Amino acid sequence: MTTSGPAGAIAPGVIESVTRHEHPGGDHSQPGLPGGMRRTSSRVRRERITMASLVLPSIILVVLINAYPVFYAAVQSVHDGTLTSTGDFVGLDNFTAILTSPDFWASARFTLVFTVVGVFGSWAVGLALALGLKAGVPGRSTFRVLLLLPWVVPIVVSATSWSWMVATPSSPVPQLAEALGFGQVLFLADPLLAQITVCVFKVWVSFPFMMLMTSAALESVDDNVYQAARMDGANRWQTFTQITLPMIARSTYISWILMAIFCVNDFPTIFLLTGGGPVNATTSLVVFAYKLVFTNFQTGIGVAVAFLMTVGLVIVSTILYRQIRKAGIE
Amino acid sequence: MSTTTRTSTSAPTGGGQLAVRPDRRSSARWWGLALYVVVTAVVLIPLISVFVLALRPRQGSGLTGYTLETITYVLTQTQSIIWLENSMLVALATTVVAVVVAAPAGYVLSRGRSRAVSGYSLLLFIVQGFPVVVFVIPLFILFARLDLVDTPGGLIIIYVASSMSVACWMMAAYFDSIPVTLEEAAWIDGCSLFGGFVRVILRNSLPGVLSTAIFTFLVAWNDYLVAVVFLRSTINYTLPVGLQTFFQQNATDWGPVMATAVIMMLPPIIVFAALNKYFSVGGIGGSLAGR
Repeated sequence: MTTSGPAGAIAPGVIESVTRHEHPGGDHSQPGLPGGMRRTSSRVRRERITMASLVLPSIILVVLINAYPVFYAAVQSVHDGTLTSTGDFVGLDNFTAILTSPDFWASARFTLVFTVVGVFGSWAVGLALALGLKAGVPGRSTFRVLLLLPWVVPIVVSATSWSWMVATPSSPVPQLAEALGFGQVLFLADPLLAQITVCVFKVWVSFPFMMLMTSAALESVDDNVYQAARMDGANRWQTFTQITLPMIARSTYISWILMAIFCVNDFPTIFLLTGGGPVNATTSLVVFAYKLVFTNFQTGIGVAVAFLMTVGLVIVSTILYRQIRKAGIE
Repeated sequence: MSTTTRTSTSAPTGGGQLAVRPDRRSSARWWGLALYVVVTAVVLIPLISVFVLALRPRQGSGLTGYTLETITYVLTQTQSIIWLENSMLVALATTVVAVVVAAPAGYVLSRGRSRAVSGYSLLLFIVQGFPVVVFVIPLFILFARLDLVDTPGGLIIIYVASSMSVACWMMAAYFDSIPVTLEEAAWIDGCSLFGGFVRVILRNSLPGVLSTAIFTFLVAWNDYLVAVVFLRSTINYTLPVGLQTFFQQNATDWGPVMATAVIMMLPPIIVFAALNKYFSVGGIGGSLAGR
């Protein structure tokens, strides 16, 4: 053991590979380990147990809270139950009912639009503001706090405020639109306008998160790279597209994925502002499932929608996760 | 990790984009300032309106101009103060439990490199993508059997669990920034793995802990969906649910609604104004990518 170098001697077992990773020099002594391993096996086991018990509480919590709902969703989606009873086994009838329902496809379409606008809208705004802050606006830490507020404030508050601003013909924004000669604009009564309003609201709520992610990524870009680019005669646009964007690409990709998940699963932003209306125009899949269960009491169908979403999200997340990790190794 | 502590490091190099000659640069800075003032003001209009409306007198109170009367009314004549207490209790308990559970888990995610650890990391990512809306139904049925419906305890369990993925990533991201050599020194001195974690790592992780604490506080403080399903009696409501009932009762009188909204907004605003420099979500990217 004494010959196996500092890293191996101090931290065998679970964390051995980390220290090896941190200190490439430790690699040379690895072949000598097996003999030493036997002597320290009780220590290895003890450290394994320590690591396991450190992570155990969170595993128990995560598994307990998620396992039952997943099991329940799997069972209920093939039964015609209500909130209180399981009901009869109906096979795949619920899924057939969903996949042939135009309402389902309309919600799926709106979910897609909402997610695409939510992700790229909030990213564009967040990126622009983060670039400005990085360029050194006076009082940037104050602006940073103020610009975070839409994300920080409870969604109930912002939805209340937005609905006060746009909901009825006598609200300030419709009044303003009328004064400017647009006639009577009903933001939440016209299907298309309601969709636009909900998407704008989502961008307003989410851009600070993107600004934070982008700021952190920009922070890690070396200023010397910019100086070198300027010496080579690159203009601002070239610097932005050739240097800034590629250097923050991976972090950008991760923030898109996270935001896409947030958008697909977002319930309060839509429900508190429009309730999914008018005529279901702003009903996303999550709102659709919620209404099936809590308004129409069709638990089986509602849960089946959720089940489809969950399966889809699990598949997509696993693929994306693998991709992020692979990119991390390169 | 720290995105704001270095406030003006970019000044000498001008952030690489604005600097050409000193005079042109300073005028560009003032234009930048003006632009940010306008943008920030526009962005904050909805929140400013809430404050302004909360300072207007209630209908039929006979007062004019701006007054704190509506806020006093809401705090003394309605149940808002009880809801405020409930919200505080739930949010603070969630914060403490989540940090206590997530910090050791984040340490394992940061330092461990076994197959089991990457498996758990993937599980956290998948779980993060589950739609909460749907989980609320089975959890309600489960918690009804356990007598956890309509209690702060039930809410706290769900909030801790639903913030667990991000909380673990945030802690792991911070631990990643602490060199392993620090623990190694402690191990040489005879410290155990656990001792090294508590005495060396945790001690040096205040910003990471604060970041995670702020995040989980926000999750619990801002939640509407779980609370509206799980809380049945008005006396147990948290502020977001309370505000909704209020709103239904007084659909036309916006004063008390907005006054309650102000009460609800203040804690997160105060937390951010005070602790802004510690808060960072940027590390999540690195920890997800398994640096």
